[in-house]
Amino acid sequence: MITVNLEITLGGLRMKNPVTVGSGTFAYGQEYDAYFDIAQLGAVTTKSLTLKPRAGNKTPRLVETPAGMLNAIGLQNVGIDVYLRDKLPYLREKRCTIIANIYGHSPDEYVELARRIEAEAGADAIEANLSCPNVHDARTARGCALVAQDPNRVAEYTRALREATGLPLFIKLSPNVTDIAEPCLAAQEAGADAVSLINTLLGMGINPETRRPILANIVGGLSGPAIRPVAVKLVWDAAKVLRIPIIGMGGITNAADALQFILAGATAVAVGSMSFRQPDTALSVIRGLEDYCRRHGVAQISELVGAMRV
Amino acid sequence: MPHLIDCEIVMHQEIAPEHFRLVLRGPEIAREAKAGQFCMLEVQAGLYPFLRRPMCFERIFPDSFAIVYRVQGEGTRLIAKMRVGQTVNVQGPLGKPFPLRREFEHHVIVAGGIGVAPFPALAEALIRECGAVPEVIVAARTADQLVCEQDFRQMGCKVHLATDDGSAGYRGFASDLLRELGLQENSVVYCCGPMAMMKATHLVCEAAGALCLASLEAEMACGDGVCLGCVVEANVEVEAERMVRVCTDGPVFDTRLIQWESY
Ligand SMILES: Cc1cc2nc3c(=O)[nH]c(=O)nc-3n(C[C@H](O)[C@H](O)[C@H](O)COP(=O)(O)OP(=O)(O)OC[C@H]3O[C@@H](n4cnc5c(N)ncnc54)[C@H](O)[C@@H]3O)c2cc1C
Ligand SMILES: Cc1cc2nc3c(=O)[nH]c(=O)nc-3n(C[C@H](O)[C@H](O)[C@H](O)COP(=O)(O)O)c2cc1C
Ligand code: FES
Repeated sequence: MITVNLEITLGGLRMKNPVTVGSGTFAYGQEYDAYFDIAQLGAVTTKSLTLKPRAGNKTPRLVETPAGMLNAIGLQNVGIDVYLRDKLPYLREKRCTIIANIYGHSPDEYVELARRIEAEAGADAIEANLSCPNVHDARTARGCALVAQDPNRVAEYTRALREATGLPLFIKLSPNVTDIAEPCLAAQEAGADAVSLINTLLGMGINPETRRPILANIVGGLSGPAIRPVAVKLVWDAAKVLRIPIIGMGGITNAADALQFILAGATAVAVGSMSFRQPDTALSVIRGLEDYCRRHGVAQISELVGAMRV
Repeated sequence: MPHLIDCEIVMHQEIAPEHFRLVLRGPEIAREAKAGQFCMLEVQAGLYPFLRRPMCFERIFPDSFAIVYRVQGEGTRLIAKMRVGQTVNVQGPLGKPFPLRREFEHHVIVAGGIGVAPFPALAEALIRECGAVPEVIVAARTADQLVCEQDFRQMGCKVHLATDDGSAGYRGFASDLLRELGLQENSVVYCCGPMAMMKATHLVCEAAGALCLASLEAEMACGDGVCLGCVVEANVEVEAERMVRVCTDGPVFDTRLIQWESY
């Protein structure tokens, strides 16, 4: 039997396997430690952290959709201070590799968050969420409401962060663009170490009986197995133009799903909404990847990155 | 500590139109479960419906537990098709139980519709642990929707019925009947039902100076405090947060903590 090496390097971040979790679908880690040892993950990715705690949007914030869900949580989070004081020690104690996801209203806010995290050893890498669909007033928003929809702003934000931190820097982008290559290349040229693809797809629902929107925020983000084919395609498109690695996500439920992302060109993968249904999904993905490599005689998981046969 | 286990269905019966009782064998969950807590049922192995469905413990036995449910949509329709002998994957116990407050003299349960679900287990616990036999109001839209009435009577509880149309018992809302029954400062009211009914019950209790503990409902994706979909607005900060999670901070709350304005 061959020994399989699942280790990867993701834009300077060493991970013992390529599996992390989607920001906002794993809280701050401790919650799911009751179901499996979260230190087995390649990395734990935190909920988006902001400078001040945020209460998030009004309810309803969540609705199930065919093979997925729509959410408009609105970045409810404890804020950077409480994260560093109350959440981080648990992850450090467990020796988890940590990716801190951050969200700000301006390049300055992102820079301040990144500096705090680096100065207080609050993570091993930073993922900047430039693509949250849930923090705008949907009644008035149009055009490029998300930073990730404007390559110039992606470049501006990434450059500011790059100058501020030496930590591995990942930029999380939106699927709601005409050409994913543009924001990807903008992030790469501005110094990003990797891109995370994809955040949720914009969506909405209406209750015909009441004629009211289902979500209080009207618009939300679609996630889950329903979006997987879209996500795999975007990862493939991005891989064709990028030198830097990709963290692929969108509807991963098992190792076979994760392999689609890897074969399309992702170096790492993140399990998102499926953890809500089955909290130990990420662990079964890790085991399934190892099993696949063994069955296919693959010694290094990294050999599979972009290895789709066409 | 919640478990994720396959539970065998040992009983499944219709108890009223569209209402069922399901008994599941799951010793790990049954041994730890307490009245007011809930579990998340996987309604099928496929991905649609995608999420689990939250259900409270109606009865807790040594190795098994019961849930009662009303068919609402796709998820509960699939549960209704399950047969004795089949297994269901269940996550639980989740949430915080009803606190058993033995210092109160007068215990009243107010149940609206399928909101009756957590109360047979609570009545049992109150009788067993506090020696307090609760008075129970079981309310529903119509007489045929009243469930669990006999369970409370068998435990020796005084049961009052209320229906919107007067087809059984008091004609009108449970909260109005509660006001007529009379509350004192040594009364504690446990309630569960539609949000509007719990708000009305809260107001009746507040006026009488009685403590009101409500089991809230919310759309849930995870049941574990992770997704932040199930929050309600609180009047105070709970662990520095104003939006409290029904799943892990609750589902049982002192109603004075909740911001009721929007309901
Ligand atoms: C802590 C908790 C405990 C519960 N315990 C019970 C119980 O013991 N027995 C019981 O019959 N029901 C209980 N419920 C409600 C139950 O979970 C929902 O009725 C069920 O999820 C509906 O699923 P469905 O697929 O059949 O309906 P869907 O098609 O999903 O929805 C049908 C209708 O039900 C509403 N609904 C959907 N999900 C929920 C939800 N999580 N909470 C409230 N309404 C919802 C929808 O808004 C819609 O109007 C509980 C809910 C919570 C939060
Ligand atoms: C409830 C919920 C909350 C989320 N919160 C965040 C967040 O705070 N920051 C972020 O960058 N992405 C957030 N996401 C997006 C996920 O990290 C992920 O990109 C997306 O859900 C696609 O993966 P999935 O289909 O596997 O869930 C959230 C997703 C969900 C479902
Ligand atoms: S259901 Fe997910 S946080 Fe409560």
